[in-house]
Amino acid sequence: MTGLYIRWGIFVLLAIILSMLVVRHYEAQLATVSPSDLILSPSTGSFRVQGMVKSGTLKGDVEQGAVQFELVDDAAAIRVQYHGPPPENLRELKTVVMIGTWDATARVFRAHEIALVSNYGFVASAYLLTFIPIGVFLFSMSRKVVVLMQAIKDSKLYEPEG
Amino acid sequence: MGTTYKKTGIVVSILLVAGALGYLALGNFGDNLVYFVTPSEVRAFTPDHSRKKVRVGGMVVKGSVHTHSEPVGLTFELTDGAATIPVVFRGIPPDLFKEGQGAVVEGYWKDGKTFYATMIMAKHSEDYMPIELKRAGVQLPKKDFMRTLSP
Amino acid sequence: MIHRIIKQIQRYKGWVGAGAAVCLLTGTYLGLIASPPDYYQGEVVRIMYVHVPLAHTALLAYTVVFAGSIWYLWKRDRLIDNMCHAAAGLGFLFTGLALITGSIWAKPTWNTWWTWDPRLVSFAILFLILAGYLMLRTFLTEDPDRESRYAAVLAIVGFIDLPIIHFSVEWWRTLHQPLSISTRGVSISGELLLPLTIMSIGFHLLFAYMLMVRTQLLYLDELLQAKKGRLLTQMHLSRSQTSP
Repeated sequence: MTGLYIRWGIFVLLAIILSMLVVRHYEAQLATVSPSDLILSPSTGSFRVQGMVKSGTLKGDVEQGAVQFELVDDAAAIRVQYHGPPPENLRELKTVVMIGTWDATARVFRAHEIALVSNYGFVASAYLLTFIPIGVFLFSMSRKVVVLMQAIKDSKLYEPEG
Repeated sequence: MGTTYKKTGIVVSILLVAGALGYLALGNFGDNLVYFVTPSEVRAFTPDHSRKKVRVGGMVVKGSVHTHSEPVGLTFELTDGAATIPVVFRGIPPDLFKEGQGAVVEGYWKDGKTFYATMIMAKHSEDYMPIELKRAGVQLPKKDFMRTLSP
Repeated sequence: MIHRIIKQIQRYKGWVGAGAAVCLLTGTYLGLIASPPDYYQGEVVRIMYVHVPLAHTALLAYTVVFAGSIWYLWKRDRLIDNMCHAAAGLGFLFTGLALITGSIWAKPTWNTWWTWDPRLVSFAILFLILAGYLMLRTFLTEDPDRESRYAAVLAIVGFIDLPIIHFSVEWWRTLHQPLSISTRGVSISGELLLPLTIMSIGFHLLFAYMLMVRTQLLYLDELLQAKKGRLLTQMHLSRSQTSP
């Protein structure tokens, strides 16, 4: 039984280290601000803004990678100018994350990169809902095998065969 | 466990499997279960279809998407290569909805002219690659989209 | 002969389990950290690295039940019957998890948790068949041979669902995308294919390991019951002999 616990202890420890690595890897990417946060912030600097492309505001040449549009949330709207590689997935009424700098004086967000909305919640729940049930199931099975073996020996029912 | 309890269990389990297999045989094999209809089939609808909720699958025609904000919604065209139908939707389309990609819409073919969608589902293809490869113009083998509509 | 093979395989059980652990940890690292997001789906494509291997393993599990059931009906081998019972339990788990992860993947991509798509329906039917199989084995316990025989027949009949699941996306109109790896070629680029391959190997090894553990579990359970039964019979006999 001790051997079983040691093996599982090592495995759980490795799994915890791995999940911490994953969380650290994505921490920076999870931090986004909304357009209404950005309007209130007086500071000029680089941000990741998440919002929806307002309908009827997308102008410019998507193929060339030079477009402007309004990014909105429930309360506010900001003007965005994008220069960069051709955006593959940009269209109106779509939620996107824009990476770039906020020009507080001109009140325009100059973006150089577009990230898709990162649905990390879905990804994390899919992985957890896979590995936790399998782990619990396998652990209880392995434990029961050891218990059964012990029970067979203890009850003196065991007769070596052959 | 009592005998009646056990017997019920056995009957229920056999019914479960028989029911599942029966559904398979009658539903899928009999070709009664069509997940969605194509725009060509919608065009051939008789007027009494207008009250029935239907699912239509097709490709979103490039350049046909027009959004509006008061109220939030969009119009676009859905095609299967042979026929095209206009679709009206109120609300925000799913993030993966895109021109030139597949979509399955649920709703009503009301006046024989326009499809009023109550839900849009985005169909994605079976190719997966990082954005750099896509920008480099790499094409991975995949099933011809129009053929996935009516195989 | 089959017992000798099983004994040989059981000797390497630990290695299979360790291999599964290494593959799954590496695969998770590659899938969640090292691999790039997809051009169209973005980050949610990472769900594929658990969903596809789970679904594939579920199909493998049912294939094991099917092959084992034929073998059992032919040879009447108790150990093979235990293996079928074990594989069905695992198949039930993997099918359920494949349905759950599929649902989690469908929401951000298709915009729905569930839809009556042929692929989804045929897979849910596999779940029901396995549920029925396990229920039958739970309730039909008076006569172990009858239990095994009925279950084997049920498993063989239910096998018809497997080709339907596999080809549903090619035969019928579906929302589910067609096969990514088929006669058309491979539609997944190398960087995304690597974590998928390693996770697939990991889940298949994990299934093999769990199958060994569970078969052993059911076998030992049956052994203990049998020995207890024999002891009770002996006690009963000796008591009836001594009593006047």
